[in-house]
Amino acid sequence: MNQPNIIFRESLKHAILMAGAVIVILPFYVMLSYSLKSPKEIETNTGGFFGDQAPMVDEYCVKLGNAVDECTEIPVVFNYTQAFKKAPLLRYLLNGVIVTASIFLFQVLISVPAAYALAKLRWWGRDVVFGLVLFCLLIPVHAIALPLYIMLAKVGLVNTYAALIIPWTISVFGIFLMRQFFMTVPDDLIDAARMDGMSELSIVWKVMLPTAVPALMAFAIFSVVAHWNDYFWPRVVITGNRDLFTPPLGLREFKGDADGSAWGPMMATATIIVTPLIVAFLLAQKKFIEGITLSGMK
Amino acid sequence: MGFKHQKVALALSAPAIIMMFVILIIPILIALWLSFTSYSLGSPLIEWVGWENYEKIFTRSSYQKMLGATITYVLVVVPASVFLGLGAALLINSLRFGRDIYKTIYFLPVMAALLAMAIVWEFTLHPTIGMINDTLTIGCDSGFWYPLLTGAWLGIDPVTSWYGKSCSDGFPLWLGDRDYALWTICFIGIWQAFGFNMVLYLAGLTSVPRELNQAAEMDGARTAWNRFWLVTWPMLGPTTVFVVTITMIRSFQVFDTVEALTEGGPVKSTYVMMYAIFEKAIRQNLVGMGAAITVIFLLFVMVLTLSQRYLVERKVHYS
Repeated sequence: MNQPNIIFRESLKHAILMAGAVIVILPFYVMLSYSLKSPKEIETNTGGFFGDQAPMVDEYCVKLGNAVDECTEIPVVFNYTQAFKKAPLLRYLLNGVIVTASIFLFQVLISVPAAYALAKLRWWGRDVVFGLVLFCLLIPVHAIALPLYIMLAKVGLVNTYAALIIPWTISVFGIFLMRQFFMTVPDDLIDAARMDGMSELSIVWKVMLPTAVPALMAFAIFSVVAHWNDYFWPRVVITGNRDLFTPPLGLREFKGDADGSAWGPMMATATIIVTPLIVAFLLAQKKFIEGITLSGMK
Repeated sequence: MGFKHQKVALALSAPAIIMMFVILIIPILIALWLSFTSYSLGSPLIEWVGWENYEKIFTRSSYQKMLGATITYVLVVVPASVFLGLGAALLINSLRFGRDIYKTIYFLPVMAALLAMAIVWEFTLHPTIGMINDTLTIGCDSGFWYPLLTGAWLGIDPVTSWYGKSCSDGFPLWLGDRDYALWTICFIGIWQAFGFNMVLYLAGLTSVPRELNQAAEMDGARTAWNRFWLVTWPMLGPTTVFVVTITMIRSFQVFDTVEALTEGGPVKSTYVMMYAIFEKAIRQNLVGMGAAITVIFLLFVMVLTLSQRYLVERKVHYS
């Protein structure tokens, strides 16, 4: 093949991929741009990406009887302060952190010892339990949300942190993944630990877990991304109690209440919710892609 | 020999075993049982209704619409996002420079909360102030875009084309239009899913040995197209089975976009199964009905996953 031909092909590929990239980025662009602009600029689709940032008057604030001067703000400042003022966004973010962190903690506490027993110990029933794990891998938790909701309602746990966390404490995928990883750890390491008089439980946490840090990291990313972004389950078990809202629920409620003037603040809220994971992803792309596609390994 | 660690092993796996039963197995049995009743939360008695709930699902028009919308969604999103994922992976893989930047960009939607992005898409697709319709409208007065998009340059009468008609009668309401809503939801689904598939395909492509491509070229597979069908596509078999299954299972569970943007409407055109379970069982407290939908849903998903495992073990064995 001659040189110009190669250059032409390469440019054509870039052109196609760039067109795709524009569509992929479009909503991120809109979100960020709207979070910076004034309501007027949003409505008329003017102001480019940043908007003019001309001071604007908050009508609602004036209606409350404040002086016009006090109610005049730059659109960016207005949008982002309103995001925190109109709804307890900080609380939502805190709830998101509490819920995702607790879920991951419980998943590790429950699945790592089981994975060790399945990978490294000989016992009657091991194959049956592993068969159970393989069967449970078939069940998406979202699909059984209804019976879980009924069970939680029966024991009076709807509208609690427990309801947000309990259904996710068992990760069969985590058991499966950690088992596969533990299988590769040499038996000598465990035998040596036993010679030193370590109990099986401390072998799990002090010997096995440190060897599994890469797998654990990948699993952590997988788990945190899934639960920070989850909307369905919180929507089912949290009804109306704002103190327990996770970030996506908070945003959804914001949308329900929003009128024309709240679009900027709403996009600011969306930006705040989406940013932590995107930034983490951009900083550690390899790890993230590994973690998220982990479900691809068999 | 024997089972030296019997007690300690059981103790270590006990929490996991108990939780698997309490959170995964028992709820399935409960759903199965409730699906034959007309139970609702708070009512003291449970009335056995036999197959009535299931009969309704297959005979009533609103549930038929539900099955139709769900299946349409899956049949659109899965092929499209798998094809786009594969296409992007192949293109990116053959680039000389700039691979990482595209990989990063295409993966962004996978990381972002779908609910948030759905709301942004709703804005972008807003009929009056949204960027999409705004941009499309600008093209109507353009001497370059109008003939291009209406197909006038091919000799087609501009007024009969979709674009030409929309220019005179207004562009669609997208999410508010019964003819477009499901397609718009599908579009957001594809937008979100294909980056994930791309990454899986990129991983799959690294396992295709270069020598195999060279050997195929020697044997007469001159064009890249021939080599793709001869070497790459069969080698990607296992990846494809996996990508298709996982995308299917995820598409079956579509909820966020529907709940936030259309609430199943207009006229039930986007009434997908997960939303139906949520609306019937949790909002309207028709638990029996919701349980029946849950059972059918589980059947779909389990048959899918089992056939994937079967395919991986039996059919897709090229190496």
